[in-house]
Amino acid sequence: MTSAVVAEDVRKSYGDTAAVDGVSLSVGEGEVFALVGPNGAGKTTLVRCLTGTATPDSGTVQLLGEAPSETNDQRVGLLPQDFAPPDRLTAGELVGYYAGLYDDARDPDAVLAEVGLDADNDTWYGDLSGGEKRRACVAAALVNSPDVLFLDEPTTAVDPAGRRALWRVFEDLAESGTTIFLTTHDMAEAERLADRVALLADGAVAATGTPSELVAEYGGRPRLVVELPESVDAPDVPGFDPESTREGLVFSDVDPEDIGGVVAALDDAGVAFEALSWREPTLEDAYLALAGDAEGVEVQR
Amino acid sequence: MSRLARVRAEAAATYRTFLRRRTAVFFTFFFPVLLIVIFAGLVRTTSGSGGLFTEPTGYYVPAYLATVVLFTPLSRVGSTVARHREGNRFEKLSTTPLTRAEWLAAHTLVNVALIAAACAVLLVALLATGASFALSPWLAVLVPATSVAFCGVGAIIGSYADGQDGAIAASNGIALPVLFLSDTFVQPALFPSWFRPIVDLSPLAYFARGVRAATYSGGDVTTNAAVVVVLAVVAFAVGTLAIPWTE
Repeated sequence: MTSAVVAEDVRKSYGDTAAVDGVSLSVGEGEVFALVGPNGAGKTTLVRCLTGTATPDSGTVQLLGEAPSETNDQRVGLLPQDFAPPDRLTAGELVGYYAGLYDDARDPDAVLAEVGLDADNDTWYGDLSGGEKRRACVAAALVNSPDVLFLDEPTTAVDPAGRRALWRVFEDLAESGTTIFLTTHDMAEAERLADRVALLADGAVAATGTPSELVAEYGGRPRLVVELPESVDAPDVPGFDPESTREGLVFSDVDPEDIGGVVAALDDAGVAFEALSWREPTLEDAYLALAGDAEGVEVQR
Repeated sequence: MSRLARVRAEAAATYRTFLRRRTAVFFTFFFPVLLIVIFAGLVRTTSGSGGLFTEPTGYYVPAYLATVVLFTPLSRVGSTVARHREGNRFEKLSTTPLTRAEWLAAHTLVNVALIAAACAVLLVALLATGASFALSPWLAVLVPATSVAFCGVGAIIGSYADGQDGAIAASNGIALPVLFLSDTFVQPALFPSWFRPIVDLSPLAYFARGVRAATYSGGDVTTNAAVVVVLAVVAFAVGTLAIPWTE
C-alpha cells in the first residue's frame, strides 16, 4: 500500500516540553488512521507537523509523497481542533467561502447536503447547534474533495445523534478512498472508524495496531462484575481472584461458561448480589491500560 | 486569475461578516461624525487666539480624516488577526491555496472601502458645517495608502497581542497618542521644541500634512504622498510576515 502520510522520528518541543518526541508512523492511501491519547499527549502538535502548520524541530514528514509545504493544497483537507469560523456567515456562505479559495471545488450545496445540513443552508453559523456547527466545519474541510483529510477531534462536544451522523459521513468518505487521519478521545469512534489506531502518550507512540490487535494485546480478559448491595470482603471462589472495587466484585478472565460456577460459589459463600454484568475487553480497556502505563498512573479497573 | 478569485472570496466573506455586525458598522461611521459634532460644532474658539482648535475648521480636515484612517484599520485588522488566531482559522487557511499576503490584501481592500465610505460621510458632514476646504484628487491616494499602512500595523499588533481584547486595547493605546502627536488636531508649534522632530517619525504626520496641503493650505503634497506610499508598502510587507499563518 502506498503511504499517504509518513512521519519519521518527528520531534517538536515548546520550551523544555517535548510535545512530540520521536514519532514515526505511516498511513496508507485510503486508510482510516486514528490517533488517541490523553489530553496534552501531543496529538494536535503531531497533526500540525503532518499538515505543515507547524515545523518539526527534527525528523521528516511526507504528505502525499512531498514535504507538507510542497504538497498540493487542493489534495489536503483539515478540520482543526477548536475551529471557530466566522459566525455571521450562513452555513451555505461558509462552505462557499472555503470553496472560493480553491481552483477546483465541489458545489457547496452538495457538500452541505452530504453532511445533512441542506435545510440549514441559510442559517447563520452562530445560530447552529453544536453538532450542526461541527458538521458545517466538516463540510468546509470536504469542499475541495481532499485525498487526505485530517480531522482533529471532529466530534468533541457533539451529541450522540450528531456524532453518529458524522461517523456515517466519515465512513462514506473512507469507502470512496479518502485517507483519513483522525484524532479522538472517543474510543468507540476510533474502534468503529479506524483501520489502525495509534496511542500517543507523552509525545511518543506507545502502541499501534488494528483495534482488534490492540484489544487482544492490551485490553485484558473478559470481566464479570458482581454488583453488591453493600461492600463485602472478596469471597473465596476457586479458580478466581476477585477484586473488591467501587463497581462491586470484579472477576477477571471469566469466560461465559464460567459464570454459573462463579454464581454458585457466591451463593455458597452467602454473598447476595444485585446484578451481574459480563463483557469482553474493548479498545477503551486497551487505552486505559496503555495510557495508564504511559502516564505512570495506576488505573483502577 | 485564481489569486484574484481567492482574494475576492476572502474579501466577500469579510465584508459580509462586517456588515452583519451592526454595532461595528454603526460606530465605524458614527465615530468620525461624533468628532465633528464635538469639535467643529460644539467647541467655541476664536481664530488667532492661540491654543487648541483655534484654526478654521478646514485646517482640521486631515485630523478628522486621520481618526478614520488610523483607528478603523488598527482596531479592525488587529482584532481580526487575533480572532483568527484564537479560532484556529489561520491553521485552516494555511492548508488552502490562500497565502497570507492574499489574506491581508483582502482584509485591506475591505478596510479601504469602509474607510473611503466613512471619509466620504465625514467630508459631507464637514461641508454641512460650512467648513472651507478643497476636494482634492490627492485624497484618492493619501486615504487608501495610509489605510493600507495602518492595516499592516494592525496585522502586526494582532499577531503579537494576547487575544482580541489585547489587540483592541493595544491598538487604541497606540492610536490615541499617534492621533494627537501627528500634526493633526494639535499644531507642532504647541509642543516643546525638543519634541517637534518626534512628530516627523509618525506616519500619520505625512498623511495630515499631505491632506492639508491638498485641501486647505497648499504646498508640497507629492513628498508627503510618496512617504505615505513607501510606508504603506513596508507596513503591508511586515504585516504580512507577522501574521501567524503557521507556527
